[in-house]
Amino acid sequence: MARKAPSRKKKKTSRKAAASKRATNRPTSKAARRSKRKPSRASRIFRFALLVFGVGFGLLVPWTIYLDHQVRTEFEGRKWDLPSRVYARPLELYPGLAITPTMLTAELRAAGYSKTGSPARPGQYSVDGNRFAIFKRPFRFPEGEDPARLIRVDVPANSVGNLQDGRSSEPLSLVRLDPAEIASIYPLLREDRTLVRLKNAPELLVTGLQAVEDRNFKHHHGLDPRGIARALWANIRAGQTIQGGSTLTQQLVKNYFLTADQTIVRKANEAMMALILEWHYDKSQILEAYINEVFLGQQGGTAIHGFARASRFYFDQPLKHLSESEIALLIGMVKGPSYYNPRRHPERAKTRRNAVLQMMLETGLISSAEAEAAFNSPLGVVAAPPGNRQKYSAFIQLVRRQLAREFEEDDLKTEGLRVFTTLAPSEQAAAQNAVTDGLGWLGRNGMSETLDGAMVVADVSSGEIRAVVGGRNPAQAGFNRALDARRQVGSVIKPLVYLLALEHESEYNLASRLQDEPITLRQPNGKEWSPSNYDNKSHGEVSLMQALAQSYNQATVRLGLDIGVTSLLHRIEQLGVRAEIEAVPSVFLGAVELTPLEVAQLYQPLAANGYSVPLRAVVAVETPQGAELTRYPLRLMPQPHREAIAVLNYALTRVVTDGTARSLPGMLNNNASIAGKTGTTNDRRDSWFVGYTRNRLAVTWVGEDDNRPAGVTGSNAAMRLWAGLFSEIPVEPVDLRLPDGAHWAWVDDVSGAISDEACGGATQLPFVDGSEPQVMTPCLAARVEQKDESFWRKWFGKKKD
Amino acid sequence: MSLSGENGLERKRTEILKLVSTLLVTLLLASCAATPPAPVEDRDEVEEEVRQPAQKDSAGVQVRPLQNPAVIELLAQAGDAEDQGRYDDATVLLERALRIQPHDPELLQQMAEVQLQQKDYEQALNFAVRSYDSGSRVGEICARNWRTISLARERLGDSGGSREAEQRAGQCMSTRPEKL
Repeated sequence: MARKAPSRKKKKTSRKAAASKRATNRPTSKAARRSKRKPSRASRIFRFALLVFGVGFGLLVPWTIYLDHQVRTEFEGRKWDLPSRVYARPLELYPGLAITPTMLTAELRAAGYSKTGSPARPGQYSVDGNRFAIFKRPFRFPEGEDPARLIRVDVPANSVGNLQDGRSSEPLSLVRLDPAEIASIYPLLREDRTLVRLKNAPELLVTGLQAVEDRNFKHHHGLDPRGIARALWANIRAGQTIQGGSTLTQQLVKNYFLTADQTIVRKANEAMMALILEWHYDKSQILEAYINEVFLGQQGGTAIHGFARASRFYFDQPLKHLSESEIALLIGMVKGPSYYNPRRHPERAKTRRNAVLQMMLETGLISSAEAEAAFNSPLGVVAAPPGNRQKYSAFIQLVRRQLAREFEEDDLKTEGLRVFTTLAPSEQAAAQNAVTDGLGWLGRNGMSETLDGAMVVADVSSGEIRAVVGGRNPAQAGFNRALDARRQVGSVIKPLVYLLALEHESEYNLASRLQDEPITLRQPNGKEWSPSNYDNKSHGEVSLMQALAQSYNQATVRLGLDIGVTSLLHRIEQLGVRAEIEAVPSVFLGAVELTPLEVAQLYQPLAANGYSVPLRAVVAVETPQGAELTRYPLRLMPQPHREAIAVLNYALTRVVTDGTARSLPGMLNNNASIAGKTGTTNDRRDSWFVGYTRNRLAVTWVGEDDNRPAGVTGSNAAMRLWAGLFSEIPVEPVDLRLPDGAHWAWVDDVSGAISDEACGGATQLPFVDGSEPQVMTPCLAARVEQKDESFWRKWFGKKKD
Repeated sequence: MSLSGENGLERKRTEILKLVSTLLVTLLLASCAATPPAPVEDRDEVEEEVRQPAQKDSAGVQVRPLQNPAVIELLAQAGDAEDQGRYDDATVLLERALRIQPHDPELLQQMAEVQLQQKDYEQALNFAVRSYDSGSRVGEICARNWRTISLARERLGDSGGSREAEQRAGQCMSTRPEKL
């Protein structure tokens, strides 16, 4: 501005000088100059206008530079703000798969399939008893594209029977459904979009958009005075606003900086930015950005942007499959997505759609036959997709933690990554119900109504986590007890103590005698510790197996002292759980604080016959284009002493058949053999149950959040919730086959000496080779002698002395 | 797993062997008893050192053929992927099959062989051991298990364990499993 002033002054001076020179030849005296100084009104106005203009121009430059920067940053930055999408594991159907009709329905619904009488397009299914017809959607997996297909599947007797192609009836051996989308990790602005390239957008969309919103798009430079005039005229004629005067470019700018108020300043800004945009970018770039940017609806707290996302949101179809009338509806909604919301205002939406179709007809984009058919067609909008994904939030927290080791949160929010997880939606639903319903039942049957709980469900062999329940109320996504409730585990730690014992095969086996007698220890703090059993009794001499099955504390502490606290702590770490644990004997009784997830990690190798696998929630991550970023493959870590683990497994089945979990089989509706361990802590603050079958491991915890005594035991609370889940999912009995290095032998129930099947009072138990008792029962000794005698008789014809 | 540690061990071993053989030749003028390490790069060591010998060992006796058509299909696709050198794809297909039948010894052994192709000898060993544990411990697959274990152990620097495994491979036809 200072720049302008001198030139003005100069002009003034020169004009003044010139004027005064022209007026008189005399040298100008001071008085004469003073009398000539007052300027005319015209020149004053002129000067004032110049001043304003100058100031305006002066402001214009920095203003333009500022707007230029804003627009370009938005345009170039926004292109990559895609939310990352998180998928559950895809359901693979094959003849023989154990699945109930309820579970299959839950899977289909989680994947957004809608139920119809007869599936006509991808995303629909029908049910008749236990006969399903499913029109499966195409899906691009990391390994390749699975095409759409109509299939028929029967689920009699809770497993897949017939599986065939829906059209040809060709029997199929394997069908992989598209995975349920269980979460999107949004950019900060909570917008949802799927990118589409201009060349892949339907032609009718591109031309129709221009016909309706901006006929002169190809020719103007950002603003279109002719368009404004045309719209004005059309609106006057129609008596209402049917056309807008802003160009697509202006609308794109408006979308970038969406504000409600349309003040003059704002409109001026937008106009300027539109010009700038056109100056920097060509028509196809602007159009592509528009198609991906335009606001087309709201889903709860999330904005739907772009035609590709809107196509999914309203029609559950990819953009390229939309019909003329569907495209017309979406174009029509540009003017006001809430006003023309087809779900809330179907009549208005239909009228608007038809107006658009009319314009398409007038501009020759569709034929009159097509227009006629489209006018009369229904809107075709499907029910809003399941927006309630809170039920997966506990699992998603685990996913995010696993991803955080490799990906920045910002990458997840803006790169449009595709995350493939291990969640099974049907099992998640069953697990949540088991926790919620189970706690409800407990509350109604004498227990506290403020109890809460958690559950982690994992596939035994692969370590893939199928469900995570963080609390009784999934909507209250605050504290995730499955991942973060660090509680004393109580007797749930005992199997590790016994495992360590069994690994010392020269000293211990399942039949070894332990003393379940009082014991007093002096703790580091000087106090004395005298653990008692749950029933306050001491049971004298018991077998190792009984001590574990009945969870005798005193016998366990004695055993533990022989093993050593350090060994136990090392084993916990070696099994993949890092925790701060004080090395004191009470650790043998579970004075260890772990989360349910950590307990699951400890038990997974036991359930998997000694093949440890890190528990994981994510299988792969790829870019939006399909390039693999990370894969988490199956990696086995065989534990040493797998034969000891096999022996321990057997003992844990005895916990369920005749130990502290003996009321469990009655709670289930099947007879499959199950291994498990109950856990109760001091003052009954925590109730734990860990149980597994051949294919599923689940850890359940119940307690009060504020850690006060809850009146719960392992068997009366957590076990009930566990049973609630395992009554609903198919179950494979525990595999009791022994590996190399272990064998079965008969032992006497009372003395623990080696016996024989033919002798009474004996049970067959597994033994690590070299650990079997050396002492024989008299019965067996007699039989061995008899055998020896007959051997000698055979060969030497005389009795052995 | 510290593969570099084991490689270092292997180098040391080779040096010691060279020294010993020189001494022996000098002292005894007899050929050295030390076995040189196996040739390092075979184009398809899995085919040559695992599958073919195992077939010979067992005369191709299959103890428990696959029954699930879904698994057969995935296994076939995995085999194609492996043939074409697409080992990651083969792994993914085998993982899908293992989700269906986690204890199938054929699948586990196939996975072990793919791990060999990818030079992940530790995982090859682990999967082969699991396959053996899960199987009937007899016949061709048993031989493939032990040959895989043998090859993996050798690559990991455990020549003693490798020889032991090779002997076990030879016993697959004659040994009946001790229990069941």
